[in-house]
Amino acid sequence: MPVYKLPIGPQHPAIKEAFHFTFDLDGEVVVDVKPRLGNVHRGIEKGMEFRTWVQGIFLVERICGICNTPHTTCYALTVEELYGVEAPPRAQYIRTIINELNRIHSHLLWVGILGMELGFWSYFMYVWRDRERVMDVVEMITGNRVTTSAIIIGGVAYDITPEMEGPIRRAMDYLEERTKFYKKVLETDPTIRARTQNVGVLPKSVAIDLCAVGPTARGSNVKSDVRFEEPYCAYGEVPFNLVTYDTCDVWARAMVRIDEVLESINIIRECLDKMPNGPIRLRLPRAPPPGEAMNRVEAPRGELLHYCKSDGKEYPYRFKARTPTLANIPALCEMLKGYYIADIPAIVASIDPCYCCTERLIFRDVNSGKVWAWTYDELRRYSLKWFKSNGGRRK
Amino acid sequence: MMGIIKWSRLRSPWILYMCTGACNACDIEVIAALTPRFDVERFGILLKGSPRHADVLVVTGAVSRHVAPRLKRIYEQMPHPKFVVAAGTCACSGGVYWGCYNVLGGIDKVIPVDVYIPGCPVRPEAVIDGIVKLLNKLKGGK
Amino acid sequence: MPLSREEQIIDDLKRYLGDKIIKAEKVRARRVNVEVPLGAHRDVIKFLKERYDIRHIVTITGVDLGEDIELIYHLAPDNRTWLLNVRTKVPKKNPVIQTIIDILPGAVFYEREVNDLLGVKFEGHEIVGHFILPDDWPEGEYPLRKEWKPKEGIPRARV
Repeated sequence: MPVYKLPIGPQHPAIKEAFHFTFDLDGEVVVDVKPRLGNVHRGIEKGMEFRTWVQGIFLVERICGICNTPHTTCYALTVEELYGVEAPPRAQYIRTIINELNRIHSHLLWVGILGMELGFWSYFMYVWRDRERVMDVVEMITGNRVTTSAIIIGGVAYDITPEMEGPIRRAMDYLEERTKFYKKVLETDPTIRARTQNVGVLPKSVAIDLCAVGPTARGSNVKSDVRFEEPYCAYGEVPFNLVTYDTCDVWARAMVRIDEVLESINIIRECLDKMPNGPIRLRLPRAPPPGEAMNRVEAPRGELLHYCKSDGKEYPYRFKARTPTLANIPALCEMLKGYYIADIPAIVASIDPCYCCTERLIFRDVNSGKVWAWTYDELRRYSLKWFKSNGGRRK
Repeated sequence: MMGIIKWSRLRSPWILYMCTGACNACDIEVIAALTPRFDVERFGILLKGSPRHADVLVVTGAVSRHVAPRLKRIYEQMPHPKFVVAAGTCACSGGVYWGCYNVLGGIDKVIPVDVYIPGCPVRPEAVIDGIVKLLNKLKGGK
Repeated sequence: MPLSREEQIIDDLKRYLGDKIIKAEKVRARRVNVEVPLGAHRDVIKFLKERYDIRHIVTITGVDLGEDIELIYHLAPDNRTWLLNVRTKVPKKNPVIQTIIDILPGAVFYEREVNDLLGVKFEGHEIVGHFILPDDWPEGEYPLRKEWKPKEGIPRARV
């Protein structure tokens, strides 16, 4: 049986950092997938060993710019555990608010990108316009839009003053109304449903065996969320729901994320209601005592683990981070099997990949032996043309 | 004839965007420049998918070893005249990853750069400002 | 007072696999450390999976301790509410250990990462090529080992 190899090229017209996958094809159907990672490998774990504990916050934050606050939260919690202290309660509430703002911005970003992958540019523009309200709130609290270094070892660097509460609540009201509208579009638009329902199905047992995390797992009815399993910051004290859907397809993952935005809005309101007074940071000595610690937090993409080992010096002895996308890639490879090339953009987008660099996709037809390379743009154009020629439906 | 070409290039530069091993923060800010709040399309700037259609290459990220040859290849595929904009501190000088193995540093180690836009991450308004400054440079008959 | 789940598992491990365990203790709430000699980790992980449904592997951390490389398998039970760390050491002069990908298929990437960055070989897991290092990375250079320094020297951050 011949084999077509289809590589997809390096640069990308829109952010979604890409990846290097080799697809084995039988005609138009994907038969096997092999990933090759490494484009964004920057050597951060080694770099952390040459920066002090405090300088580590800045490097850790930039492991991923989109979900930077979970990284700093996890690192700060781990280092505080090495010191044997806990940040003050007010700082924990502010950390929760900042993390939930980050989750809202990341999920809205993703919903827009899903629209773009499906060719729905106006949806993308609307969602990103509304996402700017979240960036405004973050800028009001911390001074920067994206990587803010607001969460530091010992607490937080910026306080939420009473004057900020009004604008935050108004922004949450506005976002709630807009998110409900976007949810309705996902639920009712026939093109979106045709391209996402029953596509990229990941059965629950496979999700558990391959250790999938985050919305990828929750879309397959796996009840797993670190905020419930190991409550950190103020999550143990505010009520919220664990969102799961059981259709196990791309649509389920999209709905999980949209519902999580609505939950996050409620969490922020609860935190503002219940926030205690008090200091927002502790002053800590230069280096923690020898020991090791590890912590998990729920990043927008899933479970994130940081491990730190100290030998009493000013530089960490070992730092390790396991990001959620790495855990989801084996599940992604399973999800792609048996679907058309034209489905690839939607399925890959559904795990919300965060590899941070554009890479290549290689396709290989098992029938003819042919190998070819495409840019991601070419893949997307092929996908849109294919669906248009089939009247918006899958064959 | 050259006058018309130069005028059209100034009025509507087409951009090719590439990420070379960054944390993504600059990427989402560059894309945010397309969205209605900042709306870079009103300057005639269009985001294109292929190097052969683009005038300006916007690059973010500290160049990782893996990506350096690809960056060079993309630059060579662009037709003359071409301009390069380094967006973000990592693209200017390596930024926070200075000293990490697998990171070469700023993109000027691989290709020549016309405009440097600092910021971590770069603000969308700064991206628009940088491109407008590039256009002014072109108008000045560089 | 009824034992918590973590304490129950530690008791069971000591009872059924006593000779394969160097140390098993609860470090704090939600963290259990189980230290095993080289070669015993497969039996422990298999026991935990079959008896207690502990099949979520978060990651495998490799720590260079100088003479040895310590491997920490971070596992979590089905409800993922606490972490159980299975720790073992391999000597740096001969860093070979048996794979666990037949027991926990989710561990493939983590073994490849440890292999790429620290040079540990996994028997039974055939690894060809680099995982995250570039293709032209020189053979035999393992960046996460303590003695490895980049050729340009390391600029130490000013304190």
